Amino acid sequence: MTAGDRHDVIVVGAGLAGSLVAKHLGDRGRRVLVLEAGTRTLDTWPGHLDALNTYYAALAKVPNAPYRPNAAAPSPDVLDLEGLPSGGYRAHGYFLQDGPLPYASDYLRACGGTTLHWMGLVPRMHPDDFAVRADYGYGRDWPLGYADLEPHYRAAEHALGAAGDADEQREAIGLPFPPGYAYPMRAIPRSHLDRLLAARLDGVPLRETPDGPGTVLRVVTTPHARNGTPDPRHDHYRPAGATGLPNYGERCVGNASCVPICPVQAKYDARKTQAAWSHRVTLRARAVVNRVLVAGDGRVLGVEYQRYDDPAAPAHTTRTAEADVVVLAAHAVENARLLLLSGLANSSDQVGRNLMDHPTLLTWGLLNRPVGPFRGPGSTSGLECFRTGPARRARAPFRVEIANWGWSWPTGAPASDVARLLGIGAEPGAPRGAGLFGTALRETLGHEVGRQLCLQFAMEQDAESRNRVTLDPRHRDALGNPRPVLTYDLSEHVKRGIAAARAVSARLFALLGADDRTAYAPGPAAPGWYRFEGRDYVFQGAGHAAGTHVMGDSPATSVVDPWQRCWDHPNLYAVGCGSMPSVGTSNPSLTMAALALRSAEAVDRDLAELRRPLVVRQPGGSS
Amino acid sequence: MDTQHPATTAHEPPGAPPECAGFVELSVRLTGFDEFDLRGTGMVRLYHDTTLEQLGRAAVGRFLDDLAAAGGDPGALADEVSRDIARAITHLWYLGVWPSLARATHAALGRGTPNTAFVVSPEAWTEGLAWRTFHGHPPGARPPGFGTWADPPPGTPDRAAGDVA
Repeated sequence: MTAGDRHDVIVVGAGLAGSLVAKHLGDRGRRVLVLEAGTRTLDTWPGHLDALNTYYAALAKVPNAPYRPNAAAPSPDVLDLEGLPSGGYRAHGYFLQDGPLPYASDYLRACGGTTLHWMGLVPRMHPDDFAVRADYGYGRDWPLGYADLEPHYRAAEHALGAAGDADEQREAIGLPFPPGYAYPMRAIPRSHLDRLLAARLDGVPLRETPDGPGTVLRVVTTPHARNGTPDPRHDHYRPAGATGLPNYGERCVGNASCVPICPVQAKYDARKTQAAWSHRVTLRARAVVNRVLVAGDGRVLGVEYQRYDDPAAPAHTTRTAEADVVVLAAHAVENARLLLLSGLANSSDQVGRNLMDHPTLLTWGLLNRPVGPFRGPGSTSGLECFRTGPARRARAPFRVEIANWGWSWPTGAPASDVARLLGIGAEPGAPRGAGLFGTALRETLGHEVGRQLCLQFAMEQDAESRNRVTLDPRHRDALGNPRPVLTYDLSEHVKRGIAAARAVSARLFALLGADDRTAYAPGPAAPGWYRFEGRDYVFQGAGHAAGTHVMGDSPATSVVDPWQRCWDHPNLYAVGCGSMPSVGTSNPSLTMAALALRSAEAVDRDLAELRRPLVVRQPGGSS
Repeated sequence: MDTQHPATTAHEPPGAPPECAGFVELSVRLTGFDEFDLRGTGMVRLYHDTTLEQLGRAAVGRFLDDLAAAGGDPGALADEVSRDIARAITHLWYLGVWPSLARATHAALGRGTPNTAFVVSPEAWTEGLAWRTFHGHPPGARPPGFGTWADPPPGTPDRAAGDVA
């Protein structure tokens, strides 16, 4: 063990949760070592521009397209999954998969983590989302509620720089905010498409089935972690600029590429928090933690990690570092992997289980007028009225995102439209169509793509112990660490939610006068295809992994306590979406950030307790 | 010294011929965009060279003959290989991506290169014409500015009315 490599806290992972924890503790004078498995080439402006060029040059503009592959710390990629011609799937790449359906989400192991490619939407969870077992009879309950988390939601909104309209969120969704609360920035403007939909849908009652529960439609602006216009009602908020280039930074200028990269860094990513770290926080990148070291009494001593120089070559040296507290913040899948590798925190047998995502159903059609697609952030509004209510007992609730980028997600538009109109099919051996050229091509493409409408129905997935991350020592990565094995399926509850979403979509398209072009069929691009009650569906992953070190109120049934502290190890924390017992229908990063900030306070208290001066009495009594 | 100069035009070098004039002319027919738009992308030389590199001079020559025989109308191309070449060059202009050719075309040309699609250069992606057909811009490049996504797209009735109702 290197003498002197001792810290107050070791944080494993320099993504959103880890960077916030390190910031909080560094600001309070704690000496923090952050170990990041990936590289930090994106910290510099030339590194950022390199990522942008890599994205431009990538044939498939998937979320990890801008980021260079790293053999030492591999990341899953959505392109790793291949659908089979008559259903089923094959998994290539980093993950091994053996479930009935594929776990279809990726993440990124690099300094900044998955915030480098996230969309940047930061809705809060609904108060009803914290007690789904008690109130609706499915999934798992949180050991805390919305009220416990509310102050931390505000802290997270400040830390990430959220733009939103609290009054609208309160009135339209029923989210409680303290009186007079304002987000740091005013809501990001709604897209033209949002306004078109609002004009036709707002106030319209809708029933999923003739005798089912009804709701009233309303298009609601979504909160973003994206630079907009500061709200003077929020005290002293100053938007955070770009990292790696001094004095540069601006509001969102509508690059329409939040996923996978914001060229001007108007979107929050964890590098912005890192830029504000105190000097007491040390970041060590290219450091893959592969073991948490523990003493006989269950207290952790530190970590063992593999330091490498070249991400293309797997040569490494093994090192250790010690700390009073270790915080795992490496992503839901990687946290579980690390706990399993270390054989820790698993007296409940829940490590790796309860893996969740927001399985997403896409529907798409053509409106009867130009909508202005492929402009602005990926989504600026949604329909929030399906997020809770009595229907939740019978089927998964969902949030409807109005997609601003045409059919890019379901069909790969507009590239797929160009190919189709030219007569180029997906199969190179098949005969090609005659094709359109010249003005006819230009006008037809503009007329069709310009009217593209896509809705994204993000389902709440209930925690199920059978959905899990395990390890298989027969399959290892380049550093010799076992790769994650994912076992994944959708419950009947989720499938009923997806079926309901399909029915709601059909009603919405009818109200909009849209020509529904939605079609689901097995094939190479549809690994998420399945049949349910006689109908075909294809679901997508949302990149929202959760549940793998689930939080609870008992060591017998959960991995971490309400502070995200491992029940089995009093100075080991596992933070991130992995702690969430249920995920509601909100994009989970804001909730993860709120939880991380709450846990940072607990770590600080733990350290204060450890450092409490002992009162030493002199032998022999009085002086 | 007096500044009286004799007429200099006779001594100036003749104007350089426009770069890749023939390629631009056929590209105008393929894409439906005019010469000003195509040259404005800065991609003419790169696409010309890519086309020659991918197909070979002989195949391009046959393609030009076929196109001339079709009266310059790519829609009237009868030969399937030439038609596939027309598709590929148009695809290149619209997306900055050289596509896979039809398997039969690839075989007929006896190409030694793999028949795989690729983005010709990072700039080619940002210069794709497809985005312009619906008044858009390539994602990640040429952002139109804060809040512009709230406006109706150009050239729509909404734009004139200024409202969406």
